[in-house]
Amino acid sequence: MNRRNFLTAAGGTILLGGAGAYGMVLIATPAPGGLMSPRPPSTRRWGMVIDLNKCRPDCTKCLQACRTENNVAFHGDKRWDIHWIRKVTVRSKHSQSSLQRTVLLMCNHCDHPPCAQVCPVQATYKRDDGIVLVDHHRCIGCRYCVMSCPYNARYFNFRENPDWPNRDYPKRSHGVAESCNFCAHLIDRGELPACVTTCQRIGVGAIAVGDLNDPQSEVSRLIDESAPKRIREDLGTEPKVYYVGL
Amino acid sequence: MSDTQIEYRRIEGRSTPFYQMLLVLTVMAVAGVVATWILWSEGLHLSGMTNRIPWGVQITMAVFYIGLSAGSLVVSGLYGVFGRIEYKPFARLAAYIAMLFLIAGLLSILTDQGRMDRVFVEPFTHFNVRSMFSINPGLYMGHIVLCVVYLWALFREKKLLTRVAAVVVVLWAITVHTGTGMILGFIPRELHQSPLLPPSFVAAALASGTALMIIVLVTLFRLTRRHLDDALIVWLGRLLAISLVVVFYFMFIESAYRYYLIESREAARFYLFGGFHSVLLWGGLMIVGCLIPSVILFHPRLGRTIPWIVFAAAMVVFGVLCERYVIVIPGQTNPPELFPGMVITTSPLDEGFVSYSISSYEALQAVGVLGIVGLLFVLGLKYLALAPVEARLPRGAGS
Repeated sequence: MNRRNFLTAAGGTILLGGAGAYGMVLIATPAPGGLMSPRPPSTRRWGMVIDLNKCRPDCTKCLQACRTENNVAFHGDKRWDIHWIRKVTVRSKHSQSSLQRTVLLMCNHCDHPPCAQVCPVQATYKRDDGIVLVDHHRCIGCRYCVMSCPYNARYFNFRENPDWPNRDYPKRSHGVAESCNFCAHLIDRGELPACVTTCQRIGVGAIAVGDLNDPQSEVSRLIDESAPKRIREDLGTEPKVYYVGL
Repeated sequence: MSDTQIEYRRIEGRSTPFYQMLLVLTVMAVAGVVATWILWSEGLHLSGMTNRIPWGVQITMAVFYIGLSAGSLVVSGLYGVFGRIEYKPFARLAAYIAMLFLIAGLLSILTDQGRMDRVFVEPFTHFNVRSMFSINPGLYMGHIVLCVVYLWALFREKKLLTRVAAVVVVLWAITVHTGTGMILGFIPRELHQSPLLPPSFVAAALASGTALMIIVLVTLFRLTRRHLDDALIVWLGRLLAISLVVVFYFMFIESAYRYYLIESREAARFYLFGGFHSVLLWGGLMIVGCLIPSVILFHPRLGRTIPWIVFAAAMVVFGVLCERYVIVIPGQTNPPELFPGMVITTSPLDEGFVSYSISSYEALQAVGVLGIVGLLFVLGLKYLALAPVEARLPRGAGS
């Protein structure tokens, strides 16, 4: 074998070997929530109903509870602050009256989440109970999910979070994306998300979380009774946060 | 001139200007590495990006470089695919440049990641077949490998392999740029989503790549005092002019469509007349990048004068850079409509129109990528026989 043939053979072997190894990795990779899932598939489908008629315009208790429970970064700078829930006021474009409506905005845990669709590493994924969350140990920080979320509900950790109020829950390093996860860690323990608990505790009870698949659940009942709206339903993302009084 | 008589020669690379150039490029590369290190360790708040503008100059540059790459490769393919023997002298150089700019694109994307350290593992172990951002890096890496195979075939004068590799690599380049267009064109935002974006990306890639090759060829042959037949560049100028018409056509249709439909008129108005990006769109892309170069290149006299063609080519490269900015940025500064028919009056987030300003760190990153690619280019000229000693039309051929 002369030098040229040797080089050709060696190059070909490396290319084929590389492609083969890559194929093995792909085949061996478990699907999210697949082989690694410790639980059988859930029959639940978590959703939220927010009654804007009950929500008080001047109250920020749920926002604070969320920030503390989940160690959500606040830097005092609009460019980089992270809001798993944010409170906005809206008014009609065409009406001259100053009638304003307060709306709580958050991740809609879409049934067809564009953020999960575009995530190149499956760090953002939808659990079988419908909760959309981010694996912060896998996220590479490409911010494609922030680009793709039509609700501005996705945030990126542009800088390190100096605060860590809840030591029982991790905070995220800079360089990864995040959004509301319905306090999945609490839901998995049979508790309610921090915003819901707080809103109930102060006697307002504007937020309800429950199983949309269970016709007896409070959320199903509210949806049946009050025909709530979802934000930008026309996009086809099938949001699971419903608004009464929007 | 027959197929096998082309003589390639390395540049000597011992002159003072050569070493000065190496020094400048090294400084640029080091500056980029340092800026990237700081951004990676301190956080991307040092960039100009925000939660409303998650993609900035690095993505813009990545798209620009990948376009330059795809376009250069088509020049290389003139010989391998279309059998235009008079362009064979440029085939090696063009393929090498195509490979370098693909590397530049990948470097730009890599250095833009919040967690660069994970990029070498997670995308491979948790590949998402539905994500354009998963599919494209595979296309890019495949493109680099194909460029290496193609270059090898060119260097070894393997006729059959050259033809096959050229066809595959040119088709792959078009796929690569279509895919890059899909990254942005398939984003569900008013000024991004468009089925026309991928083909318009390919057209702009052709224009910028051809323009770049014109600049590189004329400059290199002049500096190294090698003979280059004017007619070869004049024909490339014509090719460039035609691709400019296509770029303009796509931009016109897309904007006209958005403006004509009432539902997207407001966004189209912002796109066309909404601020700094509109200046780049009209001034940079339309006038400097399309109109003036088209007039020059189609002009019976100026279109045959080499300095004018190079001038037009430089304007096209600048114009396409503006086009890339206009494609990436305004789609983000234009707010998504959360409540149709309503306005958001107060929010802790910037919900309305926002602006993006490039930070010095990001600018240095872009400079660094150019430095690395520049180094690879000049070292390639020194150590590889990329450029021919002369490029002449075959005898008897008309211009």
